[in-house]
Amino acid sequence: MIHPSEMISAYLDGELSWSEHSQLVDHLERCGRCTAELEQVQRVRAAVRSLPVLELPEGIVPEADPVVVPLRRQKGLWAGVAAAIAVIVVAIAALVGPDPGSVSIDELSSRFGARVSLDPAFGPAKVVVPPAVIDG
Amino acid sequence: MRRLVALVVVFTMVPMSAAWATDLDELLERGQSATYSAEQVISCSTPDGVRDAVVNIDQAGGELRVTSSFADDVEVSSGAGAWSLSRHGGLVEEMVIDAGNSNSELLYTVEDLGTVQFLGREAMAFRLLRGDELRAELILDDETGALVMVTTFEADGEVYCERRFISLDTEPPALAEKFSTAQGTSPSPVEESGLALEVAGFERLDHYEDEEGVRFTYYSDGFFSFAVFETPTEVSIPDPTEVVFDSGSYERSFTAGQVMFVWETRDGGMALVGDLPPDLHETVLADMPHPQDPGLFRRFWRALFG
Repeated sequence: MIHPSEMISAYLDGELSWSEHSQLVDHLERCGRCTAELEQVQRVRAAVRSLPVLELPEGIVPEADPVVVPLRRQKGLWAGVAAAIAVIVVAIAALVGPDPGSVSIDELSSRFGARVSLDPAFGPAKVVVPPAVIDG
Repeated sequence: MRRLVALVVVFTMVPMSAAWATDLDELLERGQSATYSAEQVISCSTPDGVRDAVVNIDQAGGELRVTSSFADDVEVSSGAGAWSLSRHGGLVEEMVIDAGNSNSELLYTVEDLGTVQFLGREAMAFRLLRGDELRAELILDDETGALVMVTTFEADGEVYCERRFISLDTEPPALAEKFSTAQGTSPSPVEESGLALEVAGFERLDHYEDEEGVRFTYYSDGFFSFAVFETPTEVSIPDPTEVVFDSGSYERSFTAGQVMFVWETRDGGMALVGDLPPDLHETVLADMPHPQDPGLFRRFWRALFG
């Protein structure tokens, strides 16, 4: 089964054609994984939308023309923007980034290989050959 | 004549109880203590394509050492509950297991096929049947007991994997170090496991947990075996293929002679590593915790804290 993950964002943005829309809806009815992914993307979007809107406090730049205000000088504003960006980056990293604590197959092979060697009757038939040996 | 044939079948189809059929048992025992060097070709026809490897095997003192024929810098040592992977002479992974229950209830019947010639030497051939299904053919060198050829089959009789010696030298190999000096992680045997005692004819033999919270449970039917891992984090495998069974969606990867499945549950990552033929995969996985989405909160937590 092919999972059209890339269509989910376009679906939520209303950017799918009619045929793509039908195709995705049919797939979602049959695929729990994509349905869960859709729900998660919706939740992330809702969470980002719920972030407080940062408004410039009154009086902080009383005489400035809003068009030419050098915003980089407004540290409070930029701190808020940076925080919002950080939240978004973390959200994206959580959804699409690699798991920082994932276990490698070499670790699993070592455990399986060690345990198999306690059943030595079929030695050459059972020895675990990890990808590292095969790939050279 | 028909009566004679039936009699022969009765005598050669010896159901195994505590041990393999006498001849095979003796040869396997001899093979464990044999000293030899060999070159082995492994070729497996998997649903994801053919997986091949050529390895050099050195055995002495109950220890097997496997090196790549193509990469001199990679070496795997295996024996007596220890396993290590080295590159350029430096240790990459090492594991030592102190205990294990080797007495599984054997499901196989042995059929003695008699004497054959292999690599110009006297050898004995056997078949292993699980019920009515041919599951393996074994050829053992008569002098050393070395398992010079193993062919495993799927339930429909199609060949799954073949491991064949293409050379055999009975001169003692030079094995540099023994495992007695190994300092690998030692997961502790524990009694409790939430996994089934018996899965598709495979018996749960033992269960381990290490300091990092990785648990693994070992199953065997007397010939094939697999380990199921329960980890706090997800498991990564090389070049995964997504497969969907009734129990859910999994990532799968084959190497020569080994299959790996990984999936996630609400409680963390899971993996299965073993030498199961493909026809047993779905049946075995159906009896394991099914794939579940870990949930958004858990993903955030892992992204932030690992």
